[in-house]
Amino acid sequence: MRTARRAVGGFDVRIGGRSVATALGNESQKANPKVILDLHTHSIKSDDGRAKVQNYCQWIRAKSVPIDGFVLTEHRQFDFESDYSELASKFGITILKGAEVETEYGHVLVFGVNEGLYNEFDFTTIGLSLENVIEKCEKHGALAAPCHPGRPRVGMVAHLEEHGIPNGVRIVETKNGGSRGDEDEVAAKMAEDLGYLGIGGSDSHIVSHIGRCATRFPTTLATEGELVEALKAEEFEAISNKQ
Amino acid sequence: MPDTHSTETVSNIGEVEFGSELPSFAPDTSTDNTKRFGKYVGWDSPRFTDHEGARKEGLPGAIVPGVLSQGFLGAMIHRWAPDAEIIAIDTVFRAPVLADVPHTITGTVTDIDEDEGTVEIDITITNEAGENRVFGTATAKLPT
Repeated sequence: MRTARRAVGGFDVRIGGRSVATALGNESQKANPKVILDLHTHSIKSDDGRAKVQNYCQWIRAKSVPIDGFVLTEHRQFDFESDYSELASKFGITILKGAEVETEYGHVLVFGVNEGLYNEFDFTTIGLSLENVIEKCEKHGALAAPCHPGRPRVGMVAHLEEHGIPNGVRIVETKNGGSRGDEDEVAAKMAEDLGYLGIGGSDSHIVSHIGRCATRFPTTLATEGELVEALKAEEFEAISNKQ
Repeated sequence: MPDTHSTETVSNIGEVEFGSELPSFAPDTSTDNTKRFGKYVGWDSPRFTDHEGARKEGLPGAIVPGVLSQGFLGAMIHRWAPDAEIIAIDTVFRAPVLADVPHTITGTVTDIDEDEGTVEIDITITNEAGENRVFGTATAKLPT
Protein backbone atom coordinates (compact mmCIF):
# COMPACT_ATOMS: atom_id res chain seq x y z
CA MET A 1 0.00 0.00 0.00
CA ARG A 2 1.46 3.33 -0.97
CA THR A 3 1.71 6.13 1.53
CA ALA A 4 0.73 9.79 1.71
CA ARG A 5 -2.55 9.43 -0.13
CA ARG A 6 -4.84 12.33 0.28
CA ALA A 7 -7.57 11.97 2.89
CA VAL A 8 -11.00 11.51 1.36
CA GLY A 9 -13.91 13.64 2.39
CA GLY A 10 -12.72 14.12 5.95
CA PHE A 11 -12.28 10.45 6.77
CA ASP A 12 -9.15 11.22 8.75
CA VAL A 13 -11.26 13.21 11.22
CA ARG A 14 -11.82 11.25 14.40
CA ILE A 15 -14.56 11.41 17.01
CA GLY A 16 -13.79 9.97 20.41
CA GLY A 17 -11.03 7.83 19.01
CA ARG A 18 -13.20 6.42 16.23
CA SER A 19 -13.05 7.57 12.65
CA VAL A 20 -16.05 9.49 11.34
CA ALA A 21 -16.64 6.72 8.82
CA THR A 22 -16.86 4.08 11.52
CA ALA A 23 -19.11 6.25 13.62
CA LEU A 24 -21.45 6.92 10.72
CA GLY A 25 -21.50 3.28 9.69
CA ASN A 26 -22.41 2.11 13.17
CA GLU A 27 -25.11 4.75 13.62
CA SER A 28 -26.50 3.86 10.22
CA GLN A 29 -26.79 0.19 11.19
CA LYS A 30 -28.45 1.00 14.51
CA ALA A 31 -31.03 3.16 12.78
CA ASN A 32 -31.75 0.62 10.06
CA PRO A 33 -31.12 -3.07 10.65
CA LYS A 34 -31.34 -3.85 6.96
CA VAL A 35 -27.99 -4.51 5.36
CA ILE A 36 -27.17 -4.05 1.72
CA LEU A 37 -24.17 -5.97 0.42
CA ASP A 38 -22.65 -6.10 -3.03
CA LEU A 39 -22.19 -9.86 -3.28
CA HIS A 40 -19.98 -9.94 -6.36
CA THR A 41 -16.79 -7.88 -6.65
CA HIS A 42 -13.24 -8.38 -7.84
CA SER A 43 -10.02 -6.74 -6.74
CA ILE A 44 -6.52 -6.78 -8.19
CA LYS A 45 -6.28 -10.33 -6.83
CA SER A 46 -8.32 -11.42 -9.86
CA ASP A 47 -6.56 -11.64 -13.21
CA ASP A 48 -8.93 -9.13 -14.79
CA GLY A 49 -9.55 -7.06 -11.65
CA ARG A 50 -8.13 -3.56 -11.53
CA ALA A 51 -9.48 -2.26 -8.21
CA LYS A 52 -7.63 -1.98 -4.92
CA VAL A 53 -9.80 -2.76 -1.91
CA GLN A 54 -8.83 0.45 -0.17
CA ASN A 55 -10.02 2.43 -3.18
CA TYR A 56 -13.34 0.56 -3.13
CA CYS A 57 -13.79 1.76 0.45
CA GLN A 58 -12.79 5.33 -0.38
CA TRP A 59 -15.17 5.34 -3.33
CA ILE A 60 -18.12 4.02 -1.34
CA ARG A 61 -17.73 6.77 1.24
CA ALA A 62 -16.79 9.60 -1.12
CA LYS A 63 -19.72 8.86 -3.44
CA SER A 64 -22.18 7.72 -0.76
CA VAL A 65 -22.72 4.43 -2.58
CA PRO A 66 -25.82 2.92 -0.95
CA ILE A 67 -24.25 -0.30 0.27
CA ASP A 68 -23.01 -1.37 3.71
CA GLY A 69 -20.33 -3.68 2.42
CA PHE A 70 -19.19 -6.05 -0.26
CA VAL A 71 -17.94 -9.56 -0.86
CA LEU A 72 -14.68 -10.09 -2.75
CA THR A 73 -15.32 -13.03 -5.07
CA GLU A 74 -12.00 -13.46 -6.82
CA HIS A 75 -11.83 -15.62 -9.92
CA ARG A 76 -10.84 -19.28 -9.44
CA GLN A 77 -9.30 -18.80 -6.01
CA PHE A 78 -9.98 -18.01 -2.40
CA ASP A 79 -7.82 -15.37 -0.80
CA PHE A 80 -6.93 -16.76 2.62
CA GLU A 81 -4.06 -14.30 3.07
CA SER A 82 -5.53 -10.82 2.90
CA ASP A 83 -6.87 -9.26 6.08
CA TYR A 84 -9.16 -6.32 5.42
CA SER A 85 -10.35 -5.89 9.01
CA GLU A 86 -8.42 -2.64 9.47
CA LEU A 87 -9.89 -1.15 6.31
CA ALA A 88 -13.35 -2.35 7.30
CA SER A 89 -13.02 -0.71 10.69
CA LYS A 90 -11.57 2.52 9.32
CA PHE A 91 -14.34 3.01 6.78
CA GLY A 92 -17.18 1.34 8.65
CA ILE A 93 -17.73 -1.07 5.76
CA THR A 94 -18.31 -4.81 5.90
CA ILE A 95 -15.72 -6.60 3.77
CA LEU A 96 -16.24 -10.32 3.27
CA LYS A 97 -14.53 -12.88 1.08
CA GLY A 98 -15.88 -15.52 -1.26
CA ALA A 99 -14.91 -16.95 -4.63
CA GLU A 100 -16.09 -17.24 -8.21
CA VAL A 101 -15.44 -20.69 -9.63
CA GLU A 102 -16.09 -22.08 -13.09
CA THR A 103 -18.33 -25.05 -13.83
CA GLU A 104 -19.87 -26.75 -16.82
CA TYR A 105 -22.86 -24.44 -16.23
CA GLY A 106 -20.74 -21.30 -16.20
CA HIS A 107 -19.52 -19.17 -13.35
CA VAL A 108 -20.66 -19.72 -9.78
CA LEU A 109 -20.26 -17.59 -6.66
CA VAL A 110 -19.26 -19.45 -3.52
CA PHE A 111 -19.93 -17.92 -0.09
CA GLY A 112 -18.61 -19.25 3.20
CA VAL A 113 -15.40 -20.76 1.89
CA ASN A 114 -13.29 -22.49 4.53
CA GLU A 115 -10.27 -24.76 4.43
CA GLY A 116 -12.41 -27.88 4.42
CA LEU A 117 -14.26 -26.76 1.32
CA TYR A 118 -11.09 -25.47 -0.30
CA ASN A 119 -9.59 -28.95 -0.06
CA GLU A 120 -12.62 -30.63 -1.67
CA PHE A 121 -11.99 -29.45 -5.23
CA ASP A 122 -9.49 -27.45 -7.23
CA PHE A 123 -10.73 -23.86 -7.33
CA THR A 124 -8.43 -23.10 -10.24
CA THR A 125 -10.02 -25.71 -12.51
CA ILE A 126 -12.25 -24.62 -15.37
CA GLY A 127 -15.16 -27.00 -15.87
CA LEU A 128 -15.91 -28.13 -12.32
CA SER A 129 -19.10 -30.09 -11.77
CA LEU A 130 -21.76 -27.66 -10.52
CA GLU A 131 -23.62 -30.38 -8.63
CA ASN A 132 -20.38 -31.43 -6.94
CA VAL A 133 -19.60 -27.83 -6.00
CA ILE A 134 -23.07 -27.46 -4.49
CA GLU A 135 -22.78 -30.77 -2.64
CA LYS A 136 -19.38 -29.89 -1.18
CA CYS A 137 -20.60 -26.44 -0.21
CA GLU A 138 -23.50 -27.97 1.70
CA LYS A 139 -21.12 -30.39 3.42
CA HIS A 140 -18.93 -27.52 4.66
CA GLY A 141 -21.57 -24.95 5.52
CA ALA A 142 -21.03 -22.87 2.41
CA LEU A 143 -23.38 -21.90 -0.41
CA ALA A 144 -23.02 -21.80 -4.20
CA ALA A 145 -25.00 -19.51 -6.51
CA PRO A 146 -24.57 -19.36 -10.29
CA CYS A 147 -23.79 -15.79 -11.36
CA HIS A 148 -24.77 -13.82 -14.44
CA PRO A 149 -26.77 -16.85 -15.64
CA GLY A 150 -28.12 -14.94 -18.63
CA ARG A 151 -24.69 -14.26 -20.08
CA PRO A 152 -23.62 -16.15 -23.21
CA ARG A 153 -21.01 -18.90 -22.65
CA VAL A 154 -20.33 -18.20 -18.97
CA GLY A 155 -23.94 -18.18 -17.74
CA MET A 156 -26.12 -21.10 -16.67
CA VAL A 157 -28.93 -20.57 -19.19
CA ALA A 158 -26.55 -21.19 -22.09
CA HIS A 159 -25.84 -24.69 -20.78
CA LEU A 160 -29.29 -25.92 -19.73
CA GLU A 161 -30.07 -27.46 -23.10
CA GLU A 162 -26.86 -29.50 -23.13
CA HIS A 163 -26.69 -30.50 -19.45
CA GLY A 164 -30.29 -30.28 -18.24
CA ILE A 165 -31.48 -28.64 -15.03
CA PRO A 166 -28.90 -29.18 -12.29
CA ASN A 167 -29.84 -30.48 -8.87
CA GLY A 168 -29.34 -28.36 -5.80
CA VAL A 169 -29.50 -24.82 -7.15
CA ARG A 170 -31.60 -22.54 -4.94
CA ILE A 171 -30.16 -19.09 -5.59
CA VAL A 172 -28.86 -17.41 -8.73
CA GLU A 173 -27.62 -13.90 -9.43
CA THR A 174 -30.47 -12.12 -11.20
CA LYS A 175 -29.04 -8.60 -11.12
CA ASN A 176 -25.46 -8.16 -12.31
CA GLY A 177 -23.82 -4.77 -12.71
CA GLY A 178 -21.93 -5.86 -15.79
CA SER A 179 -24.85 -7.30 -17.70
CA ARG A 180 -25.31 -6.32 -21.33
CA GLY A 181 -28.47 -6.40 -23.41
CA ASP A 182 -31.18 -8.61 -21.90
CA GLU A 183 -28.88 -10.75 -19.76
CA ASP A 184 -30.59 -9.79 -16.49
CA GLU A 185 -34.02 -10.39 -18.01
CA VAL A 186 -32.94 -13.83 -19.20
CA ALA A 187 -31.62 -14.58 -15.71
CA ALA A 188 -34.83 -13.38 -14.04
CA LYS A 189 -36.97 -15.45 -16.43
CA MET A 190 -34.96 -18.59 -15.66
CA ALA A 191 -35.18 -17.91 -11.94
CA GLU A 192 -38.94 -17.50 -12.17
CA ASP A 193 -39.38 -20.60 -14.32
CA LEU A 194 -37.26 -22.80 -12.06
CA GLY A 195 -38.25 -21.28 -8.71
CA TYR A 196 -34.87 -19.84 -7.83
CA LEU A 197 -34.27 -16.86 -5.58
CA GLY A 198 -32.28 -13.92 -6.88
CA ILE A 199 -29.29 -12.06 -5.50
CA GLY A 200 -27.52 -8.99 -6.88
CA GLY A 201 -23.89 -8.02 -7.29
CA SER A 202 -21.99 -5.44 -9.27
CA ASP A 203 -19.37 -7.82 -10.71
CA SER A 204 -17.14 -4.78 -10.41
CA HIS A 205 -13.61 -5.01 -11.69
CA ILE A 206 -12.84 -1.31 -11.39
CA VAL A 207 -13.41 0.96 -8.43
CA SER A 208 -16.19 3.12 -9.79
CA HIS A 209 -18.43 0.16 -10.63
CA ILE A 210 -18.91 -1.12 -7.10
CA GLY A 211 -22.47 -1.15 -5.77
CA ARG A 212 -24.20 -1.03 -9.14
CA CYS A 213 -26.19 -4.05 -8.04
CA ALA A 214 -26.46 -5.51 -4.55
CA THR A 215 -28.57 -7.60 -2.20
CA ARG A 216 -30.68 -6.30 0.66
CA PHE A 217 -31.00 -8.41 3.81
CA PRO A 218 -33.52 -7.83 6.60
CA THR A 219 -30.96 -8.40 9.35
CA THR A 220 -27.47 -7.28 10.20
CA LEU A 221 -24.61 -9.55 9.25
CA ALA A 222 -20.88 -9.17 9.57
CA THR A 223 -19.22 -12.50 8.80
CA GLU A 224 -19.10 -15.01 5.97
CA GLY A 225 -20.96 -17.49 8.16
CA GLU A 226 -23.73 -15.01 8.87
CA LEU A 227 -23.96 -14.28 5.16
CA VAL A 228 -24.47 -17.96 4.38
CA GLU A 229 -27.12 -18.20 7.10
CA ALA A 230 -28.88 -15.12 5.76
CA LEU A 231 -28.90 -16.58 2.27
CA LYS A 232 -30.18 -19.93 3.52
CA ALA A 233 -32.95 -18.06 5.36
CA GLU A 234 -34.10 -17.03 1.86
CA GLU A 235 -35.12 -13.55 2.96
CA PHE A 236 -33.32 -11.12 0.73
CA GLU A 237 -33.88 -8.99 -2.31
CA ALA A 238 -31.72 -8.26 -5.34
CA ILE A 239 -31.49 -4.56 -6.05
CA SER A 240 -30.04 -2.45 -8.86
CA ASN A 241 -28.48 0.96 -8.51
CA LYS A 242 -27.61 1.17 -12.20
CA GLN A 243 -28.42 4.50 -13.80
CA MET B 1 -19.97 12.13 -35.78
CA PRO B 2 -19.31 15.16 -33.57
CA ASP B 3 -16.32 14.98 -31.27
CA THR B 4 -17.60 16.83 -28.23
CA HIS B 5 -15.54 17.51 -25.17
CA SER B 6 -15.30 19.91 -22.27
CA THR B 7 -12.40 22.32 -21.90
CA GLU B 8 -12.08 21.65 -18.16
CA THR B 9 -8.43 20.92 -17.40
CA VAL B 10 -6.01 20.45 -14.51
CA SER B 11 -2.39 21.54 -14.58
CA ASN B 12 -0.91 19.79 -11.54
CA ILE B 13 -1.67 17.02 -9.09
CA GLY B 14 -2.73 19.47 -6.39
CA GLU B 15 -5.80 20.30 -8.45
CA VAL B 16 -6.96 16.68 -8.64
CA GLU B 17 -9.65 15.41 -6.29
CA PHE B 18 -10.50 11.79 -5.55
CA GLY B 19 -13.65 10.86 -7.42
CA SER B 20 -13.51 13.73 -9.88
CA GLU B 21 -14.70 12.95 -13.37
CA LEU B 22 -12.70 13.68 -16.46
CA PRO B 23 -14.60 15.45 -19.23
CA SER B 24 -16.24 12.66 -21.19
CA PHE B 25 -16.47 12.71 -24.94
CA ALA B 26 -17.98 10.88 -27.89
CA PRO B 27 -15.17 9.41 -29.98
CA ASP B 28 -15.32 9.35 -33.75
CA THR B 29 -16.13 5.67 -34.31
CA SER B 30 -17.10 6.14 -37.96
CA THR B 31 -15.79 3.74 -40.57
CA ASP B 32 -14.30 6.80 -42.28
CA ASN B 33 -12.13 7.21 -39.20
CA THR B 34 -11.27 3.53 -38.87
CA LYS B 35 -10.32 3.52 -42.57
CA ARG B 36 -8.09 6.53 -41.99
CA PHE B 37 -6.53 4.84 -38.97
CA GLY B 38 -6.02 1.60 -40.89
CA LYS B 39 -4.35 3.46 -43.71
CA TYR B 40 -1.93 5.24 -41.38
CA VAL B 41 -0.92 2.13 -39.45
CA GLY B 42 -0.98 -0.22 -42.44
CA TRP B 43 -3.71 -2.43 -41.02
CA ASP B 44 -6.61 -2.08 -43.41
CA SER B 45 -8.62 -5.18 -42.48
CA PRO B 46 -12.30 -5.32 -43.50
CA ARG B 47 -13.18 -6.12 -39.90
CA PHE B 48 -12.37 -2.51 -39.08
CA THR B 49 -13.54 -0.75 -42.21
CA ASP B 50 -16.45 -2.58 -43.79
CA HIS B 51 -19.57 -3.90 -42.05
CA GLU B 52 -20.27 -6.60 -44.63
CA GLY B 53 -16.66 -7.78 -44.61
CA ALA B 54 -16.69 -7.89 -40.82
CA ARG B 55 -19.89 -9.95 -40.78
CA LYS B 56 -18.21 -12.46 -43.08
CA GLU B 57 -15.62 -12.86 -40.31
CA GLY B 58 -18.36 -13.60 -37.78
CA LEU B 59 -18.48 -10.16 -36.21
CA PRO B 60 -21.72 -8.19 -35.74
CA GLY B 61 -20.26 -5.41 -37.90
CA ALA B 62 -17.09 -3.43 -38.35
CA ILE B 63 -15.31 -2.79 -35.08
CA VAL B 64 -13.05 -0.02 -33.82
CA PRO B 65 -9.49 -1.34 -33.45
CA GLY B 66 -8.50 -1.83 -29.82
CA VAL B 67 -5.44 0.37 -30.12
CA LEU B 68 -7.60 3.16 -31.55
CA SER B 69 -9.92 2.81 -28.55
CA GLN B 70 -6.87 3.09 -26.30
CA GLY B 71 -5.86 6.17 -28.25
CA PHE B 72 -9.26 7.71 -27.52
CA LEU B 73 -8.75 6.97 -23.83
CA GLY B 74 -5.33 8.55 -23.87
CA ALA B 75 -6.72 11.59 -25.66
CA MET B 76 -9.32 12.02 -22.93
CA ILE B 77 -6.60 12.06 -20.29
CA HIS B 78 -4.50 14.61 -22.16
CA ARG B 79 -7.50 16.86 -22.76
CA TRP B 80 -8.08 16.83 -19.03
CA ALA B 81 -4.42 17.13 -18.01
CA PRO B 82 -2.41 18.43 -20.99
CA ASP B 83 0.91 18.12 -19.15
CA ALA B 84 0.27 14.59 -17.86
CA GLU B 85 2.58 11.75 -18.73
CA ILE B 86 0.53 8.61 -19.28
CA ILE B 87 2.38 5.80 -17.53
CA ALA B 88 -0.05 3.02 -18.44
CA ILE B 89 -3.40 2.32 -20.01
CA ASP B 90 -4.62 -1.10 -18.94
CA THR B 91 -7.82 -2.16 -20.67
CA VAL B 92 -10.14 -5.16 -20.53
CA PHE B 93 -12.09 -5.61 -23.77
CA ARG B 94 -15.42 -7.12 -22.73
CA ALA B 95 -17.25 -6.59 -26.01
CA PRO B 96 -16.41 -5.03 -29.37
CA VAL B 97 -16.75 -1.29 -29.90
CA LEU B 98 -18.84 -1.24 -33.06
CA ALA B 99 -17.99 1.24 -35.77
CA ASP B 100 -20.63 3.80 -36.77
CA VAL B 101 -22.29 3.35 -33.36
CA PRO B 102 -22.21 6.18 -30.79
CA HIS B 103 -20.10 5.48 -27.72
CA THR B 104 -19.04 7.53 -24.74
CA ILE B 105 -15.63 7.58 -23.12
CA THR B 106 -15.45 8.37 -19.42
CA GLY B 107 -12.79 8.60 -16.77
CA THR B 108 -12.89 8.96 -12.99
CA VAL B 109 -10.03 9.52 -10.56
CA THR B 110 -9.91 6.61 -8.12
CA ASP B 111 -6.50 7.01 -6.51
CA ILE B 112 -4.03 9.82 -5.87
CA ASP B 113 -0.44 9.28 -4.86
CA GLU B 114 1.04 12.66 -4.10
CA ASP B 115 4.48 11.23 -3.28
CA GLU B 116 4.74 9.74 -6.75
CA GLY B 117 2.75 12.50 -8.41
CA THR B 118 0.49 9.93 -10.02
CA VAL B 119 -3.22 9.43 -10.31
CA GLU B 120 -5.16 6.30 -11.18
CA ILE B 121 -8.18 6.70 -13.41
CA ASP B 122 -11.03 4.30 -14.06
CA ILE B 123 -11.69 4.37 -17.79
CA THR B 124 -14.68 3.05 -19.69
CA ILE B 125 -16.12 2.97 -23.17
CA THR B 126 -19.89 2.51 -23.10
CA ASN B 127 -22.51 2.34 -25.82
CA GLU B 128 -25.86 4.12 -25.86
CA ALA B 129 -27.44 1.32 -23.80
CA GLY B 130 -24.93 2.06 -21.05
CA GLU B 131 -23.14 -1.25 -21.60
CA ASN B 132 -19.46 -1.31 -20.76
CA ARG B 133 -17.67 -2.47 -23.87
CA VAL B 134 -14.20 -1.63 -22.57
CA PHE B 135 -13.06 -0.84 -19.06
CA GLY B 136 -9.79 -0.56 -17.24
CA THR B 137 -7.49 1.82 -15.48
CA ALA B 138 -4.93 4.37 -16.53
CA THR B 139 -2.03 5.71 -14.52
CA ALA B 140 -0.84 9.23 -15.25
CA LYS B 141 1.92 11.35 -13.75
CA LEU B 142 1.10 15.00 -13.28
CA PRO B 143 3.33 17.95 -12.43
CA THR B 144 3.57 18.56 -8.70
